[in-house]
Amino acid sequence: MNFRRIAVVAALALIAILIIPVAPAPAAQDTILFGSPVSLTGALTKEGHLTQEGYEFWKNYVNAHGGIKVGGKTYKVDIKYYDDESKNETAAQLAERLIDQDHVNFILGPYGSGTAFTVAQMVERKKIPMVEGNGAAEKIFSQGFRYTFGVLSPAKRYLEGIVELGREKGAKTVAISAASDAFSLEVAKGAADYATAHGMKVVYDDKYPNDATDVSGVITAIKATNPDIILNAGHLQDALLIHKALKEQNVMAKAYGYSVGPDTPDFVNALGKDANDVFGGAQWSDAVKYKADHPGFYDTAKAYAVAFEKVYHHRPDYHNAESSATCLAFEYALEKAGTLDPEKVRDALAALDVTTFYGILKFDSRGLNVYKPMVTNQIQNGTLVTVFPTGLAEKKPIYPAPPWGSR
Amino acid sequence: MISLAGITGSRPALIAVMVMMVALLGIPAVHNGYVEIVFRNILMYAALAYGWNLLGGYAGYVSFGQVAFFGIGTYCSALLNTHGITNIGAGIALAIVVNALVAIVLGIPILRLRGHYFGIATLGLSLAIQDLVANIDALGGTGGLALKQVDDAHFFVYYYAMWAVAAACLLGTWLVARSKLGYAFVAIRENEDAAVVLGVSPTRYKVIAWAIAGAMAGAAGAVYAPANGFIDPAGAFEVDNNVFPIVMSLLGGIGTVAGPFVGALLLAGVNEVLQRFFVKIHTLFFGAMIVLVVMFLPRGIVALIGMRGGWRGFRRSLGAYRV
Amino acid sequence: MEFAQDVINGILAGGILAVAALGFSLVWGIMNIINLAHGAFIMLGAYCAYELFTRFHIDPFISVPIAFVFLFALGYLIQRFVINYVVRAPVLTTFLLTFGLSLLIVNVALLIWTGDTRGVSPSYVGANFSIGPLTVSWAKLWTLIVALAITGIMALWLGRSRMGRAIRATAIDVGAAQLAGVRVAHVYAVTFGLGTGLAGAAGALLSLSYGINPTMGDPFLIKSFVVCVLGGLGSVQGALIGGLAYGIVEGIAPLIDFTVFGQHFSGSGLQNVIALVVLLVVLIVRPTGIMGRATA
Repeated sequence: MNFRRIAVVAALALIAILIIPVAPAPAAQDTILFGSPVSLTGALTKEGHLTQEGYEFWKNYVNAHGGIKVGGKTYKVDIKYYDDESKNETAAQLAERLIDQDHVNFILGPYGSGTAFTVAQMVERKKIPMVEGNGAAEKIFSQGFRYTFGVLSPAKRYLEGIVELGREKGAKTVAISAASDAFSLEVAKGAADYATAHGMKVVYDDKYPNDATDVSGVITAIKATNPDIILNAGHLQDALLIHKALKEQNVMAKAYGYSVGPDTPDFVNALGKDANDVFGGAQWSDAVKYKADHPGFYDTAKAYAVAFEKVYHHRPDYHNAESSATCLAFEYALEKAGTLDPEKVRDALAALDVTTFYGILKFDSRGLNVYKPMVTNQIQNGTLVTVFPTGLAEKKPIYPAPPWGSR
Repeated sequence: MISLAGITGSRPALIAVMVMMVALLGIPAVHNGYVEIVFRNILMYAALAYGWNLLGGYAGYVSFGQVAFFGIGTYCSALLNTHGITNIGAGIALAIVVNALVAIVLGIPILRLRGHYFGIATLGLSLAIQDLVANIDALGGTGGLALKQVDDAHFFVYYYAMWAVAAACLLGTWLVARSKLGYAFVAIRENEDAAVVLGVSPTRYKVIAWAIAGAMAGAAGAVYAPANGFIDPAGAFEVDNNVFPIVMSLLGGIGTVAGPFVGALLLAGVNEVLQRFFVKIHTLFFGAMIVLVVMFLPRGIVALIGMRGGWRGFRRSLGAYRV
Repeated sequence: MEFAQDVINGILAGGILAVAALGFSLVWGIMNIINLAHGAFIMLGAYCAYELFTRFHIDPFISVPIAFVFLFALGYLIQRFVINYVVRAPVLTTFLLTFGLSLLIVNVALLIWTGDTRGVSPSYVGANFSIGPLTVSWAKLWTLIVALAITGIMALWLGRSRMGRAIRATAIDVGAAQLAGVRVAHVYAVTFGLGTGLAGAAGALLSLSYGINPTMGDPFLIKSFVVCVLGGLGSVQGALIGGLAYGIVEGIAPLIDFTVFGQHFSGSGLQNVIALVVLLVVLIVRPTGIMGRATA
């Protein structure tokens, strides 16, 4: 067994496999192929799966109801996924593979702001339209990109609702802690700016490392400032750490709000009764009262939620909804454009103006959906309900929050 | 332990690597942007692995913080880019200079540590620099920096730049290995105290080794930044990139000239192929593959190529490290 | 006042870091194996506690010894049948092997439990008591006590028991130990099992305050690295002191606040930098860590 020969052959084989693409089954003539890099492993696995669920749910609906009509012809829909491992560069590279190797027509965005940014840069170069629903950092939309559209409200809005709610009830001081990533920092800044602009005082505004294992220092500092409202812009892991630490150190506030956390069932499961009366900012909830003005999908949030739960056995959260909305944007743009030509579809997206179960889908000149309001949810008795804005709310908010132990 | 074929490693492997490098010049001709990326990544990891290999494989100072230099290199290039200087060569030059300086300044205190302690100090260094950069708004903070790129028709420029960096690292390692520097490094690795007695000044050579290693990593980073179009502290100082060069050098053959390239090709290449066929569980297979390879080929692939005795020789080698 | 509270919190947090680092330190110091899968084993310990709590309503503190036993067995088997192939290879070889193992374990966990973050919430979470103006969390205090107990037991056992002595003998000289009748393969497996068992115990303790998901172990792996070296490799007391010291540094870091050239720096965002500076200072003053022995 001459290892040298084996090694040479193996090396050549490897290089060959890498160069020669696996000949993709030629895209069936009547199929529109979308491509999407999502985080199926890595730190953002959960959210990546939620995104994929949203996409798949839409795809199955469309295919079951005859497909999309583009320019007189009816097309079925298919979506090809790759795992970006929650890494920014990987997402962009995989998106490039989807375009060059798998010949997808369009790109459905990844999960996360960092990944969305790198993919946006790449599609700009390749001139292929992308719609995304899970990257809210405004940085993505301030570069002058023409081929990227975001169906979600910008990051800075996430906690504004909670601040406004508090302000209406007489709160004067706000403490904000943020994880050290671009999205969380934008959320925090947005909340701080909103508070200051509306006459409230921000008494604490600081950040902690992304991989923090203990946040007691942050909590003692917040406690010393005795705020009315305590906000956090971070991730589920931090939200849990902070909330538990707040209780441990006996920090009392009139309202607690998290940018990420309350919307996931994990939050309630992990915290039990202590999760009650906590606010969360969300892009959507199944209680919002929109009615779609276009056929082609579920026309109300409730209808979507009921059907979704039947398939996936859990209440859809806003990540699911915004992902489905992402696909809807393409569906309506394609119908309007009447062709699969990327340039024309891009123009149709830029001019889109429809109301869906998710809210209005309309993009400003930068490609960002500034026309859709955020909702504020609150956990009441273990269930998530929408409490703000008043026009979309299903219940009144509980304010101030009762002391620990009596929730 | 000097490897089987002396200080540069197995000759046939080296020739094979050089042939492959020449072959890789032709990748842009395939006109597939994604294939270009795959091989550009392989070249980037090869450069990183060469950097680590010089300090860790030859001089015996195992660094867990190579990514610090890679990251500094990306920011050098990015800062030039955002201020109007998009020439890749300028970025590489700046990265090399800055990294060499950092290695010299930090090397004097840190290289006094030995073994495990040095390793942890370098790991801490890479984490600390990441934190520091994330806190400085002038460097883009956590949000990072967006870079101007060339258009699609000229994108191959980044590929060739990375190829040049990798080739330089390969050549550099070969030249160093055969020079007085190389022998000084190995002397330090085998027995630092004896080397002192023999008149080899360890601090000087260790710092030189770290400076070269840092320059290699930085050059790779300087090309990576504009090629990627965007860098932020998390991507520039990615902790995984501390481990990958080590893994690649080990798999390929530590302390050899061919090893890092072979390891990079193998690891990045197989990862890519796995991604293609097992979208959901590719990492699992990747981990299993590494475990099996290490169990049965503890001295790396390059050693396998040089092994005599065929299958029986292989079976016998299995018992070398057992207890 | 914030300072005192921060120090207290730091000590409380340091307890877990000490237990987490202890297993890592033993395996590294005694077997010269850098176990990159250590974080993965911590994660498995946390899932143990989660499953026991959710299915059988077993309190996490009771889960600690159960997780220890389970992870010990797992570690023993892994060492005996996988790592043993290369246990005497240079440290980097096992480093590579454990790297692959950690990928394997994390991804299997991902398949079994999915990426959802889970938590354990017994009724006493958040309960606290006050000493004057300072607040102390019961759960964290008990965790510290358990951590101290574990450290004490390990120190005693390694020092006095037959197996403990066999382990230490093997660390000093394998050949001599073999001549003295030590079954080295078994000893290595036990040592590694101890490392993973302690990781499992740490994971079970962590479940009380930290969300549980397949990648939760990563930050603890990195901190274990630093704590080990800070305290001195292979030393049980070193892991404890290193862990507490690190916890305190992390706890008081947020108090630092300064502005340089118009750039504002806050200690809370610079925790890693501060920890590194402390580490470097310690290593320069005592190159083998606070309690380390003067061997390479």
